[in-house]
Amino acid sequence: MEAALWYVLSGTRGGANRARILRALDERPRNANQLAEDLELDYKTVRHHLEVLEDNNVVTDSGDDYGKVYLPSESTRVHWDTVEEILEKVT
Amino acid sequence: MLVRIVQVFAVLNTVLLAGLLYVWGRNWWQIRSKHTLGLVMFSFFLLGENLMMVYFFILHPGLNAWIHNDQMVPPIAQTALALLRVLQFIGLAFLTWVTWD
Repeated sequence: MEAALWYVLSGTRGGANRARILRALDERPRNANQLAEDLELDYKTVRHHLEVLEDNNVVTDSGDDYGKVYLPSESTRVHWDTVEEILEKVT
Repeated sequence: MLVRIVQVFAVLNTVLLAGLLYVWGRNWWQIRSKHTLGLVMFSFFLLGENLMMVYFFILHPGLNAWIHNDQMVPPIAQTALALLRVLQFIGLAFLTWVTWD
């Protein structure tokens, strides 16, 4: 899990934005629309990042069909010190 | 033909590794950790290896003439060289695919 976290957040081209998304979701769960607005990112970009994060089990969603909110997954919570180490350096 | 494969794939591997070094170097610049440094070092040295292949088998006049000569380098050796470049290319292509994301 830690290796996946490191790679998804700091080993890829979109890593920095994914880290920003994860930080925002840690503050409070949000849906894709809110994330795009709050982080001033393109909606489609946010959707893509959420897909990657979910695929790697970094975030989970509320399961609603429409406007579902995302939040850090349980395993991400367990490794939160790793996440914090990465987030500290990403603005 | 076999030597041509070695040459083309040495160049392709160089291009992929330059791309990986660019992405990983940028992340390392931002996140100074051993993980990001490890990726930079990996791509840096593998890029060095492929740049040497480009130099030895395309640019170096002596070696270039030598490798093209079936008497000096039998086809089985040329095949082995080509196979190594192609396998490395497939590995790097997948790594670039997940990293460019």
